[in-house]
Amino acid sequence: MAAAALSSAATATPARRHAALPSFAGLRRAPNAESLQLPSSTGRRGRGRAALTVRASNNPKLPAGRRLRVAVIGGGPAGGCAAETLAKGGVETVLIERKMDNCKPCGGAIPLCMVGEFDLPQDIIDRRVRKMKMISPSNVSVDIGRTLKPDEYIGMLRREVLDSYLRERAEKSGATLVNGLFLRMDKPAGPGERYRVHYNKYDGRAVGEPVTLEVDAVIGADGANSRVAKSIGAGNYEFAIAFQERMRIPAEKMEYYEERAEMYVGLDVSPDFYAWVFPKSDHVAVGTGTVTHKGDIKLLQEATRNRAGDKIDGAVTFRVEAHPIPEHPRPRRAVDQVALVGDAAGYVTKCSGEGIYFAAKSGRMCAEEIVRGSENGTRTITEADLRRYLAKFDKLYWPTYKVLDVLQKVFYRSNPAKEAFVEMCADEYVQKMTFDSYLYKRVVPGTPLEDLKLAVKTIGCLVRANALRNEMNKIGIYS
Amino acid sequence: MALFSPALPSTFSASCSKAQFPQKGRLAFFPKRSLSLFVARSADNGTGTTGSVAVEVNPEKKEEAAAPVAVEEKPEENKEAAVLESNGATVKTEVPPPKFLDPRWARGTWDLEQFRKDGTVDWDAVIDAEARRRKWLEDHPGDSSVDGGVVFDTAIIPWWAWVKRFHLPEAELLNGRAAMVGFFMAYFVDSLTGVGLVDQMNNFFCKTLLFVAVLGVLVIRKNEDVENLKKLVDESTFYDKQWQATWQDENAGGPRPE
Ligand SMILES: Cc1cc2nc3c(=O)[nH]c(=O)nc-3n(C[C@H](O)[C@H](O)[C@H](O)COP(=O)(O)OP(=O)(O)OC[C@H]3O[C@@H](n4cnc5c(N)ncnc54)[C@H](O)[C@@H]3O)c2cc1C
Repeated sequence: MAAAALSSAATATPARRHAALPSFAGLRRAPNAESLQLPSSTGRRGRGRAALTVRASNNPKLPAGRRLRVAVIGGGPAGGCAAETLAKGGVETVLIERKMDNCKPCGGAIPLCMVGEFDLPQDIIDRRVRKMKMISPSNVSVDIGRTLKPDEYIGMLRREVLDSYLRERAEKSGATLVNGLFLRMDKPAGPGERYRVHYNKYDGRAVGEPVTLEVDAVIGADGANSRVAKSIGAGNYEFAIAFQERMRIPAEKMEYYEERAEMYVGLDVSPDFYAWVFPKSDHVAVGTGTVTHKGDIKLLQEATRNRAGDKIDGAVTFRVEAHPIPEHPRPRRAVDQVALVGDAAGYVTKCSGEGIYFAAKSGRMCAEEIVRGSENGTRTITEADLRRYLAKFDKLYWPTYKVLDVLQKVFYRSNPAKEAFVEMCADEYVQKMTFDSYLYKRVVPGTPLEDLKLAVKTIGCLVRANALRNEMNKIGIYS
Repeated sequence: MALFSPALPSTFSASCSKAQFPQKGRLAFFPKRSLSLFVARSADNGTGTTGSVAVEVNPEKKEEAAAPVAVEEKPEENKEAAVLESNGATVKTEVPPPKFLDPRWARGTWDLEQFRKDGTVDWDAVIDAEARRRKWLEDHPGDSSVDGGVVFDTAIIPWWAWVKRFHLPEAELLNGRAAMVGFFMAYFVDSLTGVGLVDQMNNFFCKTLLFVAVLGVLVIRKNEDVENLKKLVDESTFYDKQWQATWQDENAGGPRPE
């Protein structure tokens, strides 16, 4: 009887699977599918440019001599890149950052393609990680950089360096940099009116001076605690809390982390994420994150240090930081002439917790649509222009987000699953696929035979880890 | 979904349902040495955000009282946000953590020579030993660098040893395997006919989908588990819904995906 029920489950499930997970099928056919549920501008894309010009010319022209003025709130990677693109595109840009030397709590790992796409100078990258060590709950460790080519690496940088570099570049392109704390904004009072952005201007002084700025549009790039999002009623997102300690370790210990970063998985260090030791310029960042056990973050951090053990022996902590990480986008990311980008919108991946690249990309894409919609700052823009950025971003990156979400759900859910995860990562094919998709941000086609082998291997790893788990439970009961 | 449990070790064990924190004992043992940071707990209200905290620790100044705290980015909603004290603690505790000891365990792996019985390796005993080691490590998670790391790979235990040990005696598991074969066939047929699951795009998606399927199989043990499977499907589509929220706003203008 049980067998019958099961086989029916087995046969019924594929059908249900198709019904329940349409996005997979749809997305994989994304380039030509019409029945797409997900944000995609396919179909429009082909006619995209023509349609765009028509739409753009529908936007009313600004009075002669007046350019479109956009306020970018927040000078992180999202804000910096948005401001640069806007300024280059002929839009009058004001970038408001509350703290010019802000040292955003962050692991600072960036994918290789970011260096090229954003033209980052080599000297802002502190370290080039070529060896990534994954460590399982039972301390099985696997090096996952073996498939990297000599010129491939994961860049490690300090955020204070990256952020100020991007801001300076925006300024050089013509954006105005303001040291100010955004407070709130008022919607345009009527047709022909503009947004009124209220902020406290500092400019080196301790006490701010309240200032009001009139702008045509606003880009909210002010991070996870975004006030811009709040002021437009963008809705909330679930978030993880990430905790990180920066510590100096003795020189001989630092050698080990020269080109190496470590990722720890296990219930002890995080029930639903991973813990890390990332090398920085002259120190290491040790941290962990969680959604489900935020209150216990301190204990998770203690466990992380414990696991790193000898390797960080004698470390002296000089900075402790904690910061929320969004889990998914906010329900509304564009309202009227206000759009959210980066963490303010909620673009951090699951599984790897990556957000710098997506912040920078979303900032740039949003700005590009504003430049296009306003015909280089000569016309007003509408929500439709901003939604075009959303459609493009979602289409481009949704698959990446989805895959990482699935991976997190499958492999981070229990210790046996984490054991299996690490075991799988020893596989060269897996390494190649993961690194290719991480470093170059594209979903790489595999070969069917290798895929099949991988499938068998995955099942094997999961089955073995679960079998051992059953055995461990028995030990728990009998002893 | 979020489980907000207090950061205080005293009430901690009661509040922690899933994760185990065996290092609790060691923590309690060195309460002064651990940095104590009570991270803001948001009640998921308002903006649903937690304050961000960053504190410079000065190791020179060994103050007993809570050091003056520099708190950044503290949203108004979190008045209780960050209370942080620290006295530049050196990270490592002096007492070495307990070490897993077994005469057959050496240099990060099991010495199979010692498992030989009548000339062949007694894989059952290896499975037992590894289960015991993992159990022990779960209770005493520790230094990953001991003996230069673990290199033991469960894949060296032949498949028939697993089957003999775990699958044959339990009819339920047999069913699980039947289901697995079912999924496999689906995968195979798809890849041959070029429709459905695998079709022309042999990319990472097939695999992740398959992982979900496999997970389903591992979960299906009893009939009630079909319910669990449904939950799993809900769970795996939850993220889609969160992303699609932007596109469900009927009144919104602009380009929309059809
Ligand atoms: C501990 C931790 C580790 C991480 N590690 C990594 C990693 O290794 N790799 C990776 O890719 N991602 C990582 N992330 C995620 C990454 O940090 C974020 O996704 C990324 O910083 C988002 O950039 P952003 O520009 O959107 O926002 P932010 O970097 O948060 O920038 C927001 C900016 O706005 C300013 N601001 C905020 N409010 C106001 C206001 N009211 N007025 C004026 N200015 C304001 C802030 O000062 C800040 O400069 C990590 C996150 C955390 C918390």
